[in-house]
Amino acid sequence: MIRRAIDKKKSLMIGVLSILVLMGFYSLVSHWQHQKNPDDSTIPTWTQLGQGVQKIIEVNPRSDERWIVVDSKATMSRLFLGLFFGVAGAVVIGLLMGCFTPFEAFLAPPMSLLAKVPPTAALAVFFVLAGTDTRMYVAMISFGVLPTLAQSIYLAVKEVPDETLYKAYTLGASQTELIWNIILRHIMPKMLDAVRLQIGPAMVYLIAAEMVVGDVGFGYRIRLQSRLLNMNVVYPYLAVLAAFGFFMDVLLRRTQHIFFRWYTHGKR
Amino acid sequence: MAKDKHQAFKEDIVLECRNLNHWFGPKRVLFNINLKIIRGEIVSLVGPSGCGKSTLLRAIVGTHPPCEGDVMIKPRDSDTARVVTRPGRDRGIVYQQYTLFPFLTARENVAVGLMLDQTSLPFRLFRFQSWRTMKKKHLDEADALLNTLKLGESVNQYPHEMSGGMRQRVAIAQALIMKPSVLLLDEPFGALDEATREELQKMLLTLYGENTRARNEDRTPPYTILIVTHELNEAIYVGDRVVALSQHWDHKDLGLSGHPGATVVYDCMSPVFRPSEAPDFELFRKQREMLRAVAFEARHITDPNEHVQFWQEYDAREGWAGNL
Repeated sequence: MIRRAIDKKKSLMIGVLSILVLMGFYSLVSHWQHQKNPDDSTIPTWTQLGQGVQKIIEVNPRSDERWIVVDSKATMSRLFLGLFFGVAGAVVIGLLMGCFTPFEAFLAPPMSLLAKVPPTAALAVFFVLAGTDTRMYVAMISFGVLPTLAQSIYLAVKEVPDETLYKAYTLGASQTELIWNIILRHIMPKMLDAVRLQIGPAMVYLIAAEMVVGDVGFGYRIRLQSRLLNMNVVYPYLAVLAAFGFFMDVLLRRTQHIFFRWYTHGKR
Repeated sequence: MAKDKHQAFKEDIVLECRNLNHWFGPKRVLFNINLKIIRGEIVSLVGPSGCGKSTLLRAIVGTHPPCEGDVMIKPRDSDTARVVTRPGRDRGIVYQQYTLFPFLTARENVAVGLMLDQTSLPFRLFRFQSWRTMKKKHLDEADALLNTLKLGESVNQYPHEMSGGMRQRVAIAQALIMKPSVLLLDEPFGALDEATREELQKMLLTLYGENTRARNEDRTPPYTILIVTHELNEAIYVGDRVVALSQHWDHKDLGLSGHPGATVVYDCMSPVFRPSEAPDFELFRKQREMLRAVAFEARHITDPNEHVQFWQEYDAREGWAGNL
């Protein structure tokens, strides 16, 4: 029957099964490829992948550093800084647009225009305006996620029923209290949803920029190793990126479930 | 002595709509609404769909001030009335929907008004210890009120975990804890089943009983309520006065080309019941038929003031004494 619920254990087992199917399929394709060409490195075997992982985590004799450590440090700090400024800016702009009609009239047109510009296409603009250091990555992610996020927050504010606001006024709320105590709390879980959806695009912008101008970071390493056809290094990097994205998503969903029980009820 | 008391009650006008007119562009909605509500009354406001009941309520709440005329409110701690220009804590409101903040539990929903009224945002942010003590006091007050409304078991439930009736009771508690000058109910029981509806109607009668007790003990009646409803039996049952708005009245004598909007066409006392008494629908019949004829039937009445008799009835019965 459509939408019939299944129990948690069953759901988990099906989830694990899907990963196992994926791994099985990969093993099969890799096996076929190595039957055709035993030296193939485009679809590495599990043993080759193990060697790649070892290469990533052990100290590199040339740089005296572990790739995974330096790349993770560079990419994550850029990503978190970019997301932090992007989210902070989007919250302010989204709230202003949703609460005050002059701001809505002033900011809604540029926001909807900017949301249509892919930041990867505007890479050159960011190079010119912010150079090629961390500032550029942060600016790119911030400006990449800000318009869409601000629009999501603006729409969430607009969805707060008028009656809720009138009610708060009759309970003695000032304008600031209305925004802080009522509207912000009302939209917080929706804001987390919007941030969750923006993690993926933010990573795309960052990796793309690192591929073009980076000298460290996931994007840089993937580009370099792809050119050398070292896919046994590229795939683990992609797996780490996927795991990071997945972990962030789970973390935000758990946060939503713990702190906004009123919102998540019936959604799971 | 009784006459003096009667006069004192009569003069304690808590809410007044004075020559109130409202329109939306070319569409005239309300015309020359004059309405005075005495402290301690439960006034039912009825009228056909689209007659402007909700518009009048919004004007009273202060979210949509009238285009012409004034709404005057007398705050609880003052002897002078002031003009309503925006929503304020002296008017509580309960809507049919969106009555509670979904992110707060029942007790937090009831206590939130006290928090907003008695503390400021900087106080809550920077004087955390004092705020914690105060918050506990607010929550205790909320618990006590919820207990009296038989919601003691549900204080920690979120609105989505409560039934419609429980939600409306919490919403009424949320408004009442602020001790507003007037409590406005906008079709509060419209979405509820018959049994829950009856239970909440009895709750309003209990509040009315407290008003009566206060009057008898020379205290200020604590609850003044204006309830908008489309259910005539409910209007007569819970209210001690029924006011009807209608657009079906003859405006030609005024020499106006277009229809000027709805006005008050009926304002009379209604029988008062105790919560323990079952509603006697036969007793309502005459008043219900009159209301239907005056306000709901589209045969235009010539004199809209013909059935506006509350003040004469009030004087004749010396207040509510003859009504009990």
